[in-house]
Amino acid sequence: MTTQNREEPMLRVVNGTKVYGGAQAISGVDFDIGRGEIHGLVGENGAGKSTLCKALAGAISLSSGDILLDGQKQSFATPADALRAGIVMVYQETSLIPTMTVAQNIILGREKYMTRLRGMYIAAQQLLQSMNFHVDPTAMVSTLGAAQKQMVEIARAVHHRARLIIFDEPTATLTPEEKLHFFDLIRRLKAEGVAIIFISHALEEALELTDRVTVLRDGERVHSGPTMELSREILVKHMVGRDLSQTYYADARKPRAHGARKKKVLSVQNVIMGKMVRNMSFSVYAGEITGISGLIGSGRTEIAKVVSGVLKRNFIYGGMIYLNGKPIRYRIPRQAIADGIVYITEDRKLNGFFETMRIDENIYVGRISTPEGRTMLLSRKEQSRVGNEWVQRMKVRAINSRARIIELSGGNQQKVVVAKSLVQNPKVVFFDEPTRGVDVGAIQEIHDFIRSLAAQGIAVVVISSYLPEILSLSDRILVARQGRIVEEFSSAEATEEKIMYAAIH
Amino acid sequence: MADAVAIKDGGSAAVKMSEGKFGLGTLSQETLVLATTVVIFLACALFVNGFATLPNISTLARSVSVLGILGVGMTVVVIGRGLDLSQVAVLAICAAWSLKLIGLGYGLAAGIAMGLGMAVAIGAFNGFAISIIGIPALFTTLASGTLVYGIGRWLMLDGIITYAPDNQPFLLALGQGEVLGIPVPLVIFAAVALVGHFILSRTSAGRFVYAFGDNAEAARLTGVSVRVLTIGQYAFSAAVAFLAGLVTAGSVASINTNVFSSSLIFDVLLIVVLGGVSLSGGRGSIASVLAGTALIGTLLNAMILLDVQGDVQNIVKSVVLLGAITLDRKLHPRDEETARQGDL
Repeated sequence: MTTQNREEPMLRVVNGTKVYGGAQAISGVDFDIGRGEIHGLVGENGAGKSTLCKALAGAISLSSGDILLDGQKQSFATPADALRAGIVMVYQETSLIPTMTVAQNIILGREKYMTRLRGMYIAAQQLLQSMNFHVDPTAMVSTLGAAQKQMVEIARAVHHRARLIIFDEPTATLTPEEKLHFFDLIRRLKAEGVAIIFISHALEEALELTDRVTVLRDGERVHSGPTMELSREILVKHMVGRDLSQTYYADARKPRAHGARKKKVLSVQNVIMGKMVRNMSFSVYAGEITGISGLIGSGRTEIAKVVSGVLKRNFIYGGMIYLNGKPIRYRIPRQAIADGIVYITEDRKLNGFFETMRIDENIYVGRISTPEGRTMLLSRKEQSRVGNEWVQRMKVRAINSRARIIELSGGNQQKVVVAKSLVQNPKVVFFDEPTRGVDVGAIQEIHDFIRSLAAQGIAVVVISSYLPEILSLSDRILVARQGRIVEEFSSAEATEEKIMYAAIH
Repeated sequence: MADAVAIKDGGSAAVKMSEGKFGLGTLSQETLVLATTVVIFLACALFVNGFATLPNISTLARSVSVLGILGVGMTVVVIGRGLDLSQVAVLAICAAWSLKLIGLGYGLAAGIAMGLGMAVAIGAFNGFAISIIGIPALFTTLASGTLVYGIGRWLMLDGIITYAPDNQPFLLALGQGEVLGIPVPLVIFAAVALVGHFILSRTSAGRFVYAFGDNAEAARLTGVSVRVLTIGQYAFSAAVAFLAGLVTAGSVASINTNVFSSSLIFDVLLIVVLGGVSLSGGRGSIASVLAGTALIGTLLNAMILLDVQGDVQNIVKSVVLLGAITLDRKLHPRDEETARQGDL
């Protein structure tokens, strides 16, 4: 393999750490890659893969630690700096400009003061041909398919004389045949001495293609070594590997009476929405917590949004959704809320709370948006009653219910967002990442609260990337992959390994 | 217990920080503007000849009232993160059409009702185009204003100026009358401001306007019917503009549709933004408009009395507007992430 390069790696990250508002995205990560090496980077969602690569590509800068290129310390302030040093990142959502032609996109950022169209097209044509890409350089990028766009991205990287190309989930959008071409190309780039970082959830691909693999977990490097010594099982173990925590959560899981199955409240049948939800079927029962696990992009968030009226499923052949046996199709969330279905957002800052308002005002807005809470005139008495009640029930830590929500910690803001939905008296609640960016103490309180909801007979659905959360909360675990529910586990049989195995292909 | 204490400490630190950062804006932008107004007012009273006379104060109140009435409508729209540039066209065309219908013998009530109906229809159309078709408010209202003006001048009205019909004392009273010594336009302004204040602070619709302006998607997810709300906002703004048109008509016994090409809409935005209604939505109140109206009214009146050239007046107004918007942007950055840096 590339052992001769190991002594003097082309690029090295020493003790890389990135802190986002108190939370460490990566901490003390060491990483190195040599010339002509294909290096796989694997880990769960949020393990820090993207953070590390964005730091290499200059999209973000490290809080501490060094990036060494050929032994020289680098500080990339912008992606352009990294580009000059020969590092290119090919993102999942392509960064091409759709209204420009292929050739224009390829030379973007390297234009001369005067660009001759003909010369540009000829150069682009030669470049594409040399790589065996069948893409018309005069075609508009918006008319290309996903694989062709990927090719243009790669051509652009090569045109920029990249020494290191970072691919973020490059195969997710490719067909099997395109995948083969893509692998060929990567091997050819490798032969030319280009170093490649390959981020993938598809472990088989990582095992097939790479020379070395680094596994990240919770922002730390847990393993790094030659691919030959690895197998799928070992990788999964490294990725999950929370043996301790698992036993802890296994204890926390209380045995529940499963003798009598509760009433089926929600039935989702063959629901299709665009490309994200391809064919989803599952049921939700009253008094039960249904966990939905899956990678980002598996359609787990989208299906919750479809059920609760935030997104619309396909109008034709969109499948059926039944609430208590009655078919439903919502245009707007208001209708779903009137029927008792609420969706609690995964990103509270983006669309969770009203930052200019106080705690009680936030909760009261939720109340008066429902049919039973509807009112012409606001009632201050009702507002403070509702505010105080829910501040107590959710154990929101604030001076009182009239504190401004913007002044609260993340966990307390999340509690208010939850309260704003629960004050609407729902029968079905979707929690999307209920404890993201929440401090440890608050996580426990939110979990306890979710359990108490189910105990009251409410049908609860919890969507989470964090497996211990899913395992400790759920009575039943569904695993989504590529827009489908592919597995269902009872809480007794589920383990982190089994869920992870089902979630990745 | 230990982490509860820690959270409490963090909380009070955040409070302090926010006072340092936002205190000047949210707490006292209105107060600041009002204080400036008082200073300018006193300065004018002392140094400008003819300012502190009863007739002049009365003129000031009348001239400022139309601006203030429009400002109330604009405030409701801007708090909901919108903009209504069609107000002046509605003011001119709908009110002129009302005058014409009354002149043709339709009767006072019917004429006003039809003008009001047309205004509300235009407002509802604005709201429809913005919330359902999805055209940005700036372009929707810019285009609909020009459209209304064009249609009005071409099909509905006979000339540039539409005169108020004779023997309609009620119409003239709207602009020229007095109640207990207070000019009627000022009374109407006060009434509109009260209604606007009531809607914004005491009704669920008003709360939804704030919620929508603060975070439109969060409002939708919470179950607010955002489309109906948007349509209602623009309909209110247009209705208020029609009322301002009647007051204008009453004060000079006619409507000059050329007001459409004046800088009136600019002045309206000026008073709204100046008082602290944030263009990024969700912030501000009717009190903000009152403060802004008082300041700009005094400033304009003083400049006229001092015989400041029109061009110089425009320069002063523009600089004040740019300054106010800069202040707004500084205090309430539109970028959501940076806006929330304060709590981290």
